[in-house]
Amino acid sequence: MNAIIKVENLSFGYTPQNTILKDISFEVIQGKFLAIAGPNGAGKTTLLNLLCGLLRPKAGCIRIDAVPVESYSVKKLAQKVAVVRQEFVPVFDFTVAQMVSMARTPYLGTFGFEDKTDKQMVNKALEATDTAQFALRALGSLSGGERQRVFIARALAANSPVLLLDEPTSFLDLKHQVGIYDLLKTAQLEKGKTIVAVTHDINLAAQYCDEILLLGADGNYHIGETKDVLSREQIEKVFGVRTFVGRLGQEKFFIPLGKFAKDSEQIASKPHNIQQEQKQ
Amino acid sequence: MAEFLTAKELAIKVSICLVVLMVVMCLCALVGTQNISMGKVFSGPGQKPGENIDYEILVRVRLPRVILAALVGAALACSGVVLQAILRNPLADPYILGISSGAGLGVIIAILSGISWSFWGGSPIGIFAFAGALITVWLVWYIGHFTGKSQVTSLLLAGVVVNAFFSAIIMFLTSIAKSEQVYSTIFWLMGNITEKDLSILWFSAGCILAGIIVLFTVCHSLNVLALGHEEAIGLGVDVARTRIVAFACAAFVTAIAVSLSGLIGFVGLIIPHGVRLTFGPDHRQLLPLSAIIGASFLVIADTIARIIVAPAQLPVGIITAIAGGPFFLILLAKYSRKVSWLK
Repeated sequence: MNAIIKVENLSFGYTPQNTILKDISFEVIQGKFLAIAGPNGAGKTTLLNLLCGLLRPKAGCIRIDAVPVESYSVKKLAQKVAVVRQEFVPVFDFTVAQMVSMARTPYLGTFGFEDKTDKQMVNKALEATDTAQFALRALGSLSGGERQRVFIARALAANSPVLLLDEPTSFLDLKHQVGIYDLLKTAQLEKGKTIVAVTHDINLAAQYCDEILLLGADGNYHIGETKDVLSREQIEKVFGVRTFVGRLGQEKFFIPLGKFAKDSEQIASKPHNIQQEQKQ
Repeated sequence: MAEFLTAKELAIKVSICLVVLMVVMCLCALVGTQNISMGKVFSGPGQKPGENIDYEILVRVRLPRVILAALVGAALACSGVVLQAILRNPLADPYILGISSGAGLGVIIAILSGISWSFWGGSPIGIFAFAGALITVWLVWYIGHFTGKSQVTSLLLAGVVVNAFFSAIIMFLTSIAKSEQVYSTIFWLMGNITEKDLSILWFSAGCILAGIIVLFTVCHSLNVLALGHEEAIGLGVDVARTRIVAFACAAFVTAIAVSLSGLIGFVGLIIPHGVRLTFGPDHRQLLPLSAIIGASFLVIADTIARIIVAPAQLPVGIITAIAGGPFFLILLAKYSRKVSWLK
């Protein structure tokens, strides 16, 4: 099994006194879908920014395709790794097609005109994400969910083996959240993309991701298959919130229970409640 | 299916705009207080200097002035396009980073010190303006990088601070200057296109054209950079290099324009927006088309400035400000609905 991302003893802090990520090591096998989850401030986005070369590690090493990230030029790294951040409206009114074609930047010549291959890649990405219909519209005129699909189209048009996503479904409704993850899973299964997504939604992670990296605010972390790592104890420990864990067929689901939830202690202590009720 | 800008399509658009610019320049060269006959012009300069007045007026007075207006218009429009992209600020203009106050300070120092030497057959004021503009831009760039990681905000703030500080020095120097020196300074600050030696024009044209060509090579990167620093790095743009090249070239062509004509406002703001609204935000066509349309705009504005109160002449900066002020307000209304920091 070929590890396309290899993180070795990684440590990072924004100041010399403060260390957010301490001695983290893991690897992502080519074609796998990894979720990074954890409480606010645990360093999820920081880790993503380290993986895409935006930040430099304080100690340790990150290798993409066996080469340290800092050894890549910006252009070469963009050919290996495509990044999707939370959707936004650009200051200037770029069309959807213009936005997606920016993914081809690392492949363009001196004057930046797209060739036949670039155009094919962009059109394929627009079709794969069902955004071809918006191609000539300004990005700002689309809804949040449609815009996020455009950003995923841009990542696919880059034709890079690795996709990094930072909370790709923030601010999206349930339908669009599932739609975005369906798109990503399709890219993983059909195009063999390796995907790493920072997310707050452990239910979506449990449903779509092969592996999960749970980062704790105390610097501890757990990585493994989602079905193993996402247990009630682990979630309660990392997020510090009482959680109900249910199972519906093959899928596990999690409901955080606040202090106003009725009988929260009793519910939380009864795992697989739904399944039991269904059996009755 | 997506539509892509091709080199051929861009060449056609640029060619059409260039033809329009040539027509505008020819027509504007023919307009003035003194009517000239094309028949006489084509008969040549004559045996003795000054024998054919129509030829002399067209070739030695109006054409250099029209060429100068076109050069300054092209430089300011290009600079506006580039600074709006790097600063991600649709309201940025070529003077936002302190070029105006730096050049103004250079000029008032030249005027107050009573320097009498001539440079290339002309006044040294242009040299002082050029030096003042470039030194100020370097200072703003240095402060912007020294003060913070968010370079866009730091640069803007550094520009504002340096502009305010230099403006205060200009006001102080103006308050202690003699009245005729004050008049010269204010007239220069209003922006004025006057006849220049043809050799200066060709040299300036070469510099501005070189600057625009270098800027054209980073136009696609400017598209990506306009999305933000992190996005641009993720898309494979060498942000530091692109910023330095774009910033240096924009400052260089603006400093040349300022040294030739003083401070002409609004061209660098309204032309990029007008072109963007008409042709879209793709910098690969926004830059060359803004250069040509900016040139046409300033040639027309200068012609109006020459004839509107004939035989006297207005500084062209007044015409561009009258045309640009209302346009700026429309822009502000348009962008305040869209840009979060203007809400």
